Amino acid sequence: MTSDAAAITAHGETDAVPHGVAGLGNPVLGMLLFITSEVMFFAGLFAAYFSIRAGYQELNKTTGQLQHVWPPTAFAHLLNPFTLFTETGALNLILPATVILVISSFTCQMGVWAIRRDDRAGFLRNFAVTLILGITFLLMQAFDYTVLAKEGLSLGATTFGTTYFTLTGFHGAHVFGGALMLGVVVYRGMAGQFSARHHDMVEATSLYWHFVDVVWILLFLTLYVLPGISPS
Amino acid sequence: MSMPSRSRTGAGPLVAGTLIILAIGIAVVVLAIAGLTPGRVFDSFFPVGGQAPVTDRGHATRQLYDVVFYIAATIFLFVEGLIIFTAFRYRKKPGDDELPPQTHGNNLVEVIWTAIPLGIVLFLFLISWQTLNTVDAKAADGGTYVRAVAARFQWKFQYLDGPDGKDAKVVYEQLLPTGEGGGLILPVGEPVHITLSSPDVIHAFYVPKFLFKRDVVPGKLNAFDFTVDTPGTYRGQCAELCGEFHGAMVFEVNALSRGDYDAWFTAAVKKAQQSPPPAPSGGPVASGAPAPSGAPAPSGAPAPSGAPAAQAVQIEARNTAFTQTAVTAPANTPFAIHFKNDDAGIPHNVQVKDASGKVVVNPDVLTGPGETDYQVPALAPGTYPFDCIVHPNMTGTITVQ
Amino acid sequence: MATTALHPAAPAVRGGLYEWLTTTDHKKIGILYLINSLVFFAAGGLLAMVVRLELAQPGLQFVDEAFYNQAFTMHASFMLFLFIIPILAGFGNYAVPLQIGAPDMAFPRINALSFWLLPLGGALMASGFLATGGAAASGWTEYPPLSGPTFHGTGTDLWIMGLVLIGTSSILGSINFLVTIFRMRAPGMTLFRMPILTWTVLVTSVLVLMATPVLTSALIMLFIDRNYGGHFFDPANGGNAVLYQNVFWFYSHPAVYIMVLPAMGIISEVLPVFSGKPLFGYKAFVFATVGIGALGFSVWAHHMFTTGQVFLPFFALMTFLIAVPTGVKMFNWIATLWRGKLVFSTPLLFAIGFLTMFLIGGLNGAFSAAVPVDFALHDTYWVVAHLHYVLFGGSVFGVFAGIYYWFPKMTGRMLDETLGKIQFVLMFVGFNMTFFPMHQLGLAGMPRRIADYASTAGWNELNLLATIGGFVIATSMLPFLWNVLVSLRNGKIAGDDPWGANTLEWATSSPPPPYNFDHLPEIRSERPVFDARHGRTAAH
Repeated sequence: MTSDAAAITAHGETDAVPHGVAGLGNPVLGMLLFITSEVMFFAGLFAAYFSIRAGYQELNKTTGQLQHVWPPTAFAHLLNPFTLFTETGALNLILPATVILVISSFTCQMGVWAIRRDDRAGFLRNFAVTLILGITFLLMQAFDYTVLAKEGLSLGATTFGTTYFTLTGFHGAHVFGGALMLGVVVYRGMAGQFSARHHDMVEATSLYWHFVDVVWILLFLTLYVLPGISPS
Repeated sequence: MSMPSRSRTGAGPLVAGTLIILAIGIAVVVLAIAGLTPGRVFDSFFPVGGQAPVTDRGHATRQLYDVVFYIAATIFLFVEGLIIFTAFRYRKKPGDDELPPQTHGNNLVEVIWTAIPLGIVLFLFLISWQTLNTVDAKAADGGTYVRAVAARFQWKFQYLDGPDGKDAKVVYEQLLPTGEGGGLILPVGEPVHITLSSPDVIHAFYVPKFLFKRDVVPGKLNAFDFTVDTPGTYRGQCAELCGEFHGAMVFEVNALSRGDYDAWFTAAVKKAQQSPPPAPSGGPVASGAPAPSGAPAPSGAPAPSGAPAAQAVQIEARNTAFTQTAVTAPANTPFAIHFKNDDAGIPHNVQVKDASGKVVVNPDVLTGPGETDYQVPALAPGTYPFDCIVHPNMTGTITVQ
Repeated sequence: MATTALHPAAPAVRGGLYEWLTTTDHKKIGILYLINSLVFFAAGGLLAMVVRLELAQPGLQFVDEAFYNQAFTMHASFMLFLFIIPILAGFGNYAVPLQIGAPDMAFPRINALSFWLLPLGGALMASGFLATGGAAASGWTEYPPLSGPTFHGTGTDLWIMGLVLIGTSSILGSINFLVTIFRMRAPGMTLFRMPILTWTVLVTSVLVLMATPVLTSALIMLFIDRNYGGHFFDPANGGNAVLYQNVFWFYSHPAVYIMVLPAMGIISEVLPVFSGKPLFGYKAFVFATVGIGALGFSVWAHHMFTTGQVFLPFFALMTFLIAVPTGVKMFNWIATLWRGKLVFSTPLLFAIGFLTMFLIGGLNGAFSAAVPVDFALHDTYWVVAHLHYVLFGGSVFGVFAGIYYWFPKMTGRMLDETLGKIQFVLMFVGFNMTFFPMHQLGLAGMPRRIADYASTAGWNELNLLATIGGFVIATSMLPFLWNVLVSLRNGKIAGDDPWGANTLEWATSSPPPPYNFDHLPEIRSERPVFDARHGRTAAH
């Protein structure tokens, strides 16, 4: 009985077998729990968004009455993702950015499958592409922010501005964190630190990246698609 | 198998028990000296013979409290008694090293002490829901409609011509929160409809004798109804932290008989409509603020008019109002405001602003009774409004010439 | 192959201060948590004395209103975020790996990070006192618009930033606990053989993991409103002041279970040892703990009954229901003592103090669950009485039970029993003297968070009594401090198992070696050390 205990090293990784009791390494379980906490963080922000959206009232200039409308009429035209140019002629990159982030999840997963079958070159290739796609997403987001700023949307410009920038801003920060993790994993991969038997950080990073992608899909649907389908 | 011999139960409980009894004895003596008689305790704590609330719904709340109290007290005596009994009865006797029976559990007992508390809490929930329906019920239309406005740190009460809303008209505005002629004056025996409004932070309208409070949330118009059934004066206070002078944000409810209320209301509305506009310059003016106010302010100390700079401007605060609401001061020379606060325990100051609303001087608050001098720098000729930073409805004007 | 060889260049022994500053050993980190928490307990206690001194008599004698508001805000903030939550995490840190037969936590370096974020976050919060306008002063709940940019300055921002760091520390800690408990238990230690303390830490960690991030989101939204022109909670611009309360309490209600469940776990360790019987109804305890954790997420709006923006019947029902598993625990504890042979060492005294005081806290909470009664009692001293009966009479008594119980294991020396009993009596008496009168003050209409009160309101004597009680509590800390200082040097040598206890931490030396165990006894029940001592190896 004690020999089993001794096999657990001080860093909690079971030694002889790469995966423990439930098939997950400690770092992977840790990452899943961390992602749970991040889901709750975004849940708080989403709850705020929906609550504010439900209560938003605008003065209708014609009737002189307050009415519920969302998004505010001043900014509604900025939220159509399916036009390549906005009404004012600026490039609208939100849909391409979404597509790029979704593709990056695929390349990420392909990298994980690669390293599981010990294809280190394939893993590195796919993760490098994922990293580049992630950075591209961030650059496109930044560009989009400048377009929106020119249109007068800011944190202080109605509660729509507040919620929009808070949600997308924190998502962007999480993408940035994910990009850092991808960078570290690519670096360590190039140094030959991962193999089919030892690649917990690859698995963990890919889980985080998928989480970041899922949050974006939800954000995209909530901020861009939902107002079009159901205006209130 | 024996237990390890680390028991030292000998003198322990005896010492602990003696100390506790001694402490209780000291506490009783201290309380008696301080004047806390059993009668006082009884009045505010025990249901039987305690203070009765003064609104229709308050009685329902009181009844609910009583039921909860009796159940809680019974559970308390039973369970606490059980703990104390167990602690004394099952003390390890010195020298007894036998293991006690190693009982791990008993499913039947678990079921019992889950089911009985479940029944009790469901009962409590049902009766409290029923009481809630009584307390939150809308009263019949008609009666008195008042909007209570809570702004840091003073209550004012706007008597409306009908239900509150965009089209509601303020018939009379009560600016005095307490004291002679002040407070939320209401008729007994008639439905009262209160709406709550705040221009700044969250406050709460709380009258202990109503056994009721409701938050004043900026951006929302909370509303509640009640009928007062006993004439009298009841203290009220803000019950949601609203800043520095939250503790000073008090008000009174004055419940008058129907006849007295009608007489007061008619007289107050008439006086507000007749209130003369402020005198253009010089000399003290008795009351006469432009907006209808509830203060029959006595004329204050004479203010120096056109006198040389050496004389201080006299401003006095009494009954949460300035006795001088229009004073004069010399131009282009620093002067002093001699401020007298007659309200015991209530903080006031005199904050002077210029015509654009910029603060000229905001001196330290003075809690009454007391007097102090506030120094004001040289001002150009013009009108300078002043108010109290604790009570925004206390206002006046300094004419500098 | 075991891979525990040290780096060749590492010194044989890391000395003193450097060791403590860089350690990743869960036992040292646990002790660091205890020390940091007790420092903030003292700071919070001093602020409480400021509050009580000012309230002893009507009129403002010592501080002005603005500082008074800072005093009670920071008193609560220190006590909740820098004392009670971390000290229970500290006990978890120390005891859980030992209790499950593991050599350390799953992520030792993250464990160290979790600790060091605490003094940093605490310093940030406390630095508010040096900022222009002073420390945060809108109550530990910091409701906007009062906590917004119009009314309060830098101190509130520092409070927010400090709290975000503290929250991060908690979340990282919870991940560590969950992975450790799920994956590093010794062979034979099934989930239903884990000590109840480990169970309570498990459930608490789930609460921390799921609830704390929601607080972070509320804090960030408040920060954005305060500093970046946001309007989340700004009614004048489409925001909603009550939204903050909903998001805040969604965390802060589960937080109160975070603050009490591990203390209940400590009680569940102490009562069996000092009555010589197993915990009565082990499985019921587990289910009750899980039930409290789950139900705890459904009651948050009972803090908001008077806002007029809440669906009252649902939250009232859930609030009443949570009394049921709590009652189950209370009866099971009493049944553990029943027909036992009670040894009244200091840990047992504090445990019984917990039972008697937490009962009162639970019962006076039932009044607030009845919504119309809450309309009368909310935001009055009744609530101050309730919260202190559960958090002080409950959790703090549990903490001291834990300190007296595990001090021998941590240091190898016993704390003095006489001094311990003196502390207990003084604390018990002082605590009741301070907080029992507050029931009456609440019923008599005294609101919370007021710096001063009218001398004609009838509250003078009870306030004076409460202040005297506060001094008695403060006095009770003196025998405790003296006890710790003296016993560290001259306390009786403890040995492996001075109490004749049940769980695995008592199967190794006091203090344990860095890797915790030279060998583990066979694990066949929730009391492996008891079984080994009584020669039982078959399942009972």
